[in-house]
Amino acid sequence: MDVKSEIAGKVWKIVTAVGDTVGEEDEILILESMKMEIPVGAPGAGRISEILVEEAESVQEGQVVARIEA
Amino acid sequence: MNTEIPAQQEIASAREALTDEARPAAVERQLKRAEMTARQRIARLCDPDSFREIGGLVRDDDGTREARPADGVVIGTAMIGDRPAVVLAQDFTVHGGSSGKLGSAKIRRAIQQAMRDGTPLVMLLDGGGHRIQDGQDSRHFAQGSPTFHDFARLSGWVPVVSVMMGAGFAGPTNYAGMSDLVIMVRGQSCMGLAGPALVKAGTGEEIDIQALGGAGAQVDTHGLAHLGVDTEGQALDAVRSYLGLLPSNARAPLPCGDPAPADDLRQAGLADLVPADTRKAYDVRKVITRLVDPDSQFEIQPTYAKNAVTCLARLGGRPVGIIANQPMQLGGMLTSPACEKIAHFVAVCDAFGVPLVYLIDVPGFSIGSSAEKSLLGRRSARMVYELGQATVPRISIVLRKGYGLGYIAMCGGRSFDADASLAWPTSEICAMSLEGAANVAYRRDIERAPDPDERRREIVAEMRAHVSPLRGAEGLGVDDIIAPESTRRRLIELLQRAPARRENNMPPKYRSISPI
Repeated sequence: MDVKSEIAGKVWKIVTAVGDTVGEEDEILILESMKMEIPVGAPGAGRISEILVEEAESVQEGQVVARIEA
Repeated sequence: MNTEIPAQQEIASAREALTDEARPAAVERQLKRAEMTARQRIARLCDPDSFREIGGLVRDDDGTREARPADGVVIGTAMIGDRPAVVLAQDFTVHGGSSGKLGSAKIRRAIQQAMRDGTPLVMLLDGGGHRIQDGQDSRHFAQGSPTFHDFARLSGWVPVVSVMMGAGFAGPTNYAGMSDLVIMVRGQSCMGLAGPALVKAGTGEEIDIQALGGAGAQVDTHGLAHLGVDTEGQALDAVRSYLGLLPSNARAPLPCGDPAPADDLRQAGLADLVPADTRKAYDVRKVITRLVDPDSQFEIQPTYAKNAVTCLARLGGRPVGIIANQPMQLGGMLTSPACEKIAHFVAVCDAFGVPLVYLIDVPGFSIGSSAEKSLLGRRSARMVYELGQATVPRISIVLRKGYGLGYIAMCGGRSFDADASLAWPTSEICAMSLEGAANVAYRRDIERAPDPDERRREIVAEMRAHVSPLRGAEGLGVDDIIAPESTRRRLIELLQRAPARRENNMPPKYRSISPI
C-alpha cells in the first residue's frame, strides 16, 4: 500500500519507523503546509515497510512518502 | 354476472403475473447478482403495506404481459416514515432494466405524480438506458424525451433521491445526475455515462467496470454520488433517514422532532476538542457530534473532499445543515471538490428550508497550479453564489481561523447577512495567517534584518495586537464571543427565533447565473 501526501508541503516530523505496526488512519508522519501541521495517515492497517522521505524534505501532492505491507 | 367472472379472473391473473412468486426463474437470476428484487426493494424502503402500484398492468400491443411485466419499471405511491412519497424501481430481470416506450412513460408519470403531490421522488435504479429495440426507430426517437425537462422543473420542489442498486450506466446515471442525493452499493452498483463495453467500442480504452464506475471511483474519488454503503438494506435505510430530515416539499414545514435538551453533559468537554494553537489539527466531526442532538447526524459525501464536512442534523429537534472546515484534512483549506460539495449542500438546504450553520476554521483557499487546473476560481465562486441565493436562516461561528476569502465564503461576519455571527475565544480573524502576512508584506524588512527570524517574530507579535477575538467583536463584525459550552444552547435559541425564510431581495431579474 502506498502512503501518499494529499498536499504539497514540507516533512515536519516523522512519527513512525520502518517495522512499526499501524492501524488505518494512524499518523505516519506530519507535514507542514499552509502554516499547519498536517498528519499523513495510513490508508490501511499493516506494517511500515518503507519511509521514502526525510524530515525537512519538500514533497509534492500525490507523492508516495511511505509504503505499508498489509 | 357470468360475463364478469372471466374478466375478473383475467385481471387477477394479470396482477398475479407481476409478483415475484409468479416469476421464480427471474427472481433466481436477480438474486444471483443482487440482494433483492425490484419489488423486495420497494417493500423494504416503504412503510408496511403502503405501496400502491401505478401502471403495473401495462402491456405493449405487440408483446405479452408475461414477457415484460410492468414493462420493467415498477412505480407507485407509498408512505416513507409516515409521509407520502413516489417510488420508482427498475426491474433488471426485464430486458436488463432498459426503458421501453411504456417504461419511459411510467418514469415520466412518476415524476409528474411527485410534482403534483409535492412529495419526494425515490428512484431505485438498476438497468440500462433506452431499450435499443424501441430506440432504433426515427419515428419514435425523433420525439426526444420530456423527462429531463420534467426533472428540471421538479428540482428544488421535492427531494429527489437516486439509489444505484446495480447496473447504472447511461440512463440511470442521467437520472441520478438530476437528483439531490445519490447512493451507491459498494462492489455491486456502478454508474457513468457509458459502461466498459461501449467505452471499449467507442474509444478503445479497456477498463474494469468497478474501476470505471464503482463507488470507489464515483463516490470517493469523483463525488458524482454522495454516499457509498455496503448493502442494499443500508442504502434504503439511508434514504429513510435522509427524507426524515427534510420536508415533503419546498413549501411544507420542516419535520421537527422532539426537542432534545439544550444543555447536556457533552458540552462541558467541547473546548478541549479544539486546540488553541492554530498549527494543530483536530477532528471537527467530533465538535459537530457534541453540538447536535444525539444520533441525529446524516453526513453527505463523507468520503469525498474530506477537508470540508457537510451534514444534516437536528438541533433542539429542528433540522439544520452544518458546513464545517475539517482541519484534519489538508488543514481544512477549501479546494475545488470541497467548494462543489458545499455549494450543492447549500442549494439542497436552501431549497427545502433547512437553516445553515457554518463552523469556521479555514486557512484559506487552495493555491498553486493544481488549484488553478481544478478551476478553483469558478468553483469558489459557486460556493459563495449558492449562499448568496439562499433565503434560509444562516449562522456562522468562528472556532479558530477565519482567514481571507475563506472566512467570507464560510458566511463569516456580515458577509451574507447572517442571523448571527459568533466567535469562540480561540478565534483568529484576519486576511491571512500572521506568519504569511509577515513574509509577504515585510519580506524586505525581514531579509535585511541581522536576525531575520527574530525580526519576523517581532512583526508577527506587532500584528497579533490587532488580531484577537475581542478586536473581532469591537467593530461589530461578530455579534458576540461565546464559550464553546454555551454554543449549543445559543444555536437552539437563535434557530427558534429566526424567521423560516427571508425575502430574497433580488432586483427584478428572471434568474441568476451560476458561475459553473
